Amino acid sequence: MSHLLEVHGLSIRFGGVQAVTKIDFHADPGEIVGVIGPNGAGKTTLFNIVTGFYSPDEGTMIFDGHNISGLKPNALTRLGMARTFQSVRLFNAMTVLENAMVGQHTRTKAGVWGALVRSKRTKAEEDHIRDRAREALAFFGDRLSGREDALASDLAYADRRRLEIARAMATDAKLLLLDEPAAGMNPAEKDGLINQIGRLRSELGYSIILIEHDMPVIKSVSDRVVALDHGEKITEGTYEEVSTNKQVIEAYLGKAAEESHL
Amino acid sequence: MTTSSSTASRYRLFLERFPVRKFVLILLAIVIAYGAAAGSIATLQLGRFSSEVWINLFISGVARGSVYAIIALGYTLVYGILFIINFAHGEVFMAGAFTAYFVAVGLDSAGMLASSPIISIALLFLVSSVVSMTVAILLERIAYRPLRGAPRLVPLITAIGASLFLQYTFRGFYGANARAYPTIPAIQGTWNILGYDFQKVHVISILGAVALWLVLYWIVERTRVGRAMRAVGEDREIAALMGVDVDRTIVFTFAVGGALAGAAGILYVFLFNQVHFFMGFFPGIKAFTAAVLGGIGSITGAALGGLILGILETVGPNLFLDGAGVPSPNQLIPIVAFGILVLVLIFLPGGFLGAPEDKRA
Amino acid sequence: MTGAQKRSIRQGLISGAIVIYLGLVGMLVAFDARAIVTGILNFATVLIAITYGGFAYLSGNRGKHGAPAQPALIAGTITGAVAGATVGVFTLVVNFLTETLGWNVRNMFTSINNALLEFFTFGQSPVVGALLMVMFGLVAGLVSGSLHLMSTTNRKVVVMGLTASVFGALGAPLFKVMLDGLNIPNRWLFERDGLTLIGAITLFVVFAAARMGSLRVGGPRQALLKVPGTTEKNLRWVITALALFGIAILPWIVNDFVSDVLGFVGLYILLGLGLNIVVGFAGLLDLGYVAFYAVGAYSVALLTARSSILVGGAVTSPAVAAYTNFWVAIPITIVIAVLIGVAIGAPVLRLRGDYLAIVTLGFGEIIRTLVLSDWLKSTFGGPQGLTEVTSAPFFGLNTRDPQILYYLIYAFAGFALFISYRLKTSRVGRAWAAMREDEDIAEGMGVSVIKYKLLAFATGAAVGSLGGAFFAAKLSVANPGSFTLLVSINVLAVVVLGGIGSIPGVVVGSLVLVGLPELLREFGEFRLHIYGAILIAIMILKPEGLIPDKRRALELHQSDHQPEKSVLSAAATEGVQ
Repeated sequence: MSHLLEVHGLSIRFGGVQAVTKIDFHADPGEIVGVIGPNGAGKTTLFNIVTGFYSPDEGTMIFDGHNISGLKPNALTRLGMARTFQSVRLFNAMTVLENAMVGQHTRTKAGVWGALVRSKRTKAEEDHIRDRAREALAFFGDRLSGREDALASDLAYADRRRLEIARAMATDAKLLLLDEPAAGMNPAEKDGLINQIGRLRSELGYSIILIEHDMPVIKSVSDRVVALDHGEKITEGTYEEVSTNKQVIEAYLGKAAEESHL
Repeated sequence: MTTSSSTASRYRLFLERFPVRKFVLILLAIVIAYGAAAGSIATLQLGRFSSEVWINLFISGVARGSVYAIIALGYTLVYGILFIINFAHGEVFMAGAFTAYFVAVGLDSAGMLASSPIISIALLFLVSSVVSMTVAILLERIAYRPLRGAPRLVPLITAIGASLFLQYTFRGFYGANARAYPTIPAIQGTWNILGYDFQKVHVISILGAVALWLVLYWIVERTRVGRAMRAVGEDREIAALMGVDVDRTIVFTFAVGGALAGAAGILYVFLFNQVHFFMGFFPGIKAFTAAVLGGIGSITGAALGGLILGILETVGPNLFLDGAGVPSPNQLIPIVAFGILVLVLIFLPGGFLGAPEDKRA
Repeated sequence: MTGAQKRSIRQGLISGAIVIYLGLVGMLVAFDARAIVTGILNFATVLIAITYGGFAYLSGNRGKHGAPAQPALIAGTITGAVAGATVGVFTLVVNFLTETLGWNVRNMFTSINNALLEFFTFGQSPVVGALLMVMFGLVAGLVSGSLHLMSTTNRKVVVMGLTASVFGALGAPLFKVMLDGLNIPNRWLFERDGLTLIGAITLFVVFAAARMGSLRVGGPRQALLKVPGTTEKNLRWVITALALFGIAILPWIVNDFVSDVLGFVGLYILLGLGLNIVVGFAGLLDLGYVAFYAVGAYSVALLTARSSILVGGAVTSPAVAAYTNFWVAIPITIVIAVLIGVAIGAPVLRLRGDYLAIVTLGFGEIIRTLVLSDWLKSTFGGPQGLTEVTSAPFFGLNTRDPQILYYLIYAFAGFALFISYRLKTSRVGRAWAAMREDEDIAEGMGVSVIKYKLLAFATGAAVGSLGGAFFAAKLSVANPGSFTLLVSINVLAVVVLGGIGSIPGVVVGSLVLVGLPELLREFGEFRLHIYGAILIAIMILKPEGLIPDKRRALELHQSDHQPEKSVLSAAATEGVQ
């Protein structure tokens, strides 16, 4: 079976710290993969490498049949990868709709000539961009669509997270990489998020990889879970398998367990 | 989603990966190196300049470079602590040197320049340093402090405005004419060292600069204040938590940088003899180049950068260009300085002693 | 002494110091020649009064951390008196140094001359004069302090009236010429170069009343909207149409000199729009913009030159002399500029803001040095430059005529305006906005940052070269002295003052920074001085400029949300004193 994303032997070192060591990892079309691990395990670093922000010291990466080593983030976006960030990184001085419209940048072509001349084709393209952006916003119901002219910085926190996902959706991606999408949400919002992630896969066919600390969320959405610790993959499997794995428990609870023996 | 034939997309991916930049830059480096080498060989073969001339040019370059180095220290200190380029530092330099001119005139009419040169020179240094220091402190207080958290563009534009403002302030004060410093007989002429005749002013500039550099080094590395300066440069909030008075430290940094610039002003006057309201601009840029060349934020780097720049500036035009048949190569000195600046920033933004490039893809 | 009183005194000292500064740099003596009310009041006196008064007014404000304001009148009076005293002491000291000690103060501070001293002492003996100055300050302070006692509306009305009178007076020569041109009698309003007393009072009353009226309805915009049939949208159309009409007919109602100045303003609007794309849209600080201007001028000159050119009496043949038609030369010039822009931009555009600024400055200077050098004299004409750019025949019109040039430059400027607007509201503009805020994320969204930076740079280059082409046409020389760093800084000042990224801001910036100094000669002498002060003041007080671009204003103030010192460090530094 061919994986959508396949990563072998990925390693990277920052100064004296080996952040990620020989990680093998894959995601299949239509799959939702959860990535867990204590803080500092290398989860975000892994994302950064896969999405082209860092260049690994060793290892190979293949996405949708293409070798993506050495490609920059915008090339990866064009190939069909989109991500969100741990600390929500929106274009704060732009409106909700504009943020989503930027997502379509990689799928469109109008340049200076189009801007100056405003031909039929450019106008049609602008309309298409707007429509796609609105579609993405509408996925979250009225929360974003109803405020499309509001500034991104004026949104409530949970809505800012949703907008980030919508923007990623607007890139017509195949694979979404979500970095702690549930962070800072209250239980009701988390339930909504679980629902939305599920719908992203079932209704829109996205494959998703998500980093999360919130176990119930991971449990509810993931087909498969990968656990990292100290830059290495310690195990992978279903949530049940991983959550009962001794190493995983030690990684998360080990120190507390030791202290309780004092 | 875009559909494209697989050969087209593979070609495109290949293009993405090809390091066009690196290729062009390496090509450029080769061309420049070749040009410099060819020019030098031609000049030396022509043999129009004797070795005495080369040595003089070289020493003159070292002297100039020393002055640039001291001015560069001001840039590097401020950058190391506030991460802004104090574009107006050249004017800080000018203020002291120009003001000290009037003291020199006064001393001259009292005959002191001839009779007690050491006291006179000390007085000039004092006045120049104090004036420059004051200007620097005022600059920080009025123009930079209100802008501590602003995006980088803002303090830079302010600095440019401050530079203009200070230039014209002193033009308004002291007039638009260049003034020639009265001569100090004690420093005219040459000393004979190791069989060669060196200009006294060159030797004094170099020694003076070395002394100043050592003083600064001692301040930054060995004193409490210096430690505070380094701490604030590393992490302002933590430094504050450790009890460092951030505002006072920053003022001190500007003060020291200003005082050094003032002192450099007197050294500059020894070499060039003239003061003028616009005299700070080019030395300022050159000093900045020196700071960047050596690695901005590094004191040693500033010194190194200054020396290299000074030498290249005096020896370079004649060495590289004369042989290539370029008329009046000294007209092109600005190109040397700016060229180095541009090249360093493109190829080696961290300077010689600065941070290496990071892992960004 | 209470804290508030100390503050008042301190502000008085600062105010006095500023007035002394103005004297020492020569502004006061120069401005003394400028009449406000002819025969009665001149600008220097007004300036001093404003300085005293401004600080006096401020000292009546609440202090930091909500400290109570002292009675405004007392605060104002103290500040004013102290300010006056400071200046008085200054005159006494200078007098002492010159008369008693015999020092030649004028050799050092070239602006201290008899005129200045007489001005500070109101023509009296030093001691009497100093006392008079204290009185003057006191009165100014008292009057300013009393502004606090008025209601906000009244205060705004009074300020408006005063401002109108002062500006009317400063602009007197220009307005007089315009009114004369329209055959409207104005002897009652203007006399020689200033206002008559009646004129001053009339202006005051008229504008004060207008302000009162507009404040009643909530502001000038609201007032206009109340006119039946106006909406926001057609209001903007009407203003634009009026502006266009005004621009079109202006040369016919003012003389050649003013046309020339307006042409100059137009040139800076053009250059400003170009730089606005680079700095404002793409966020790249370019201090070497003059390079493109130079490229434009020299390219046009070279392309349109005849084969032998007279340079300072000697006949030289430039290496390139294509004798092409001006209008053919323009697109070629634009292409050349774009190529050079890309060549310069490609290696440097990935550098960080301040480094980029210095590097572009370096390139600008390198190009200027090359063009000025003896080495390349055969191509570029060295220090004298190139002459004999053909006057561009265009449907038989002579382009040496200031009025024609005027329309030419505004046509170019209009074109640049068009480009700016179109780009800003397009996919390209969006990409730039994203890139400015967060380069990494923009890159992730598929915006090739380097490509879009180059695009902005190249567009800016194209526009700048148009300016150079105009310059060459107008003066029919291309001369290196006109392409100094100062030009880059001037253009930057225009963009910054108007508002970085703001298109109408460029127009306003150019009018203020380029137009005004030409029309107000005394200010013209201190132009760069004032530019410097304006740049500093704008960055500190209103970095988004006079007519802000909404998005940029937000970006610039975003750092307000993340305070420079966190709560923790503030507590620590305040604790350890």
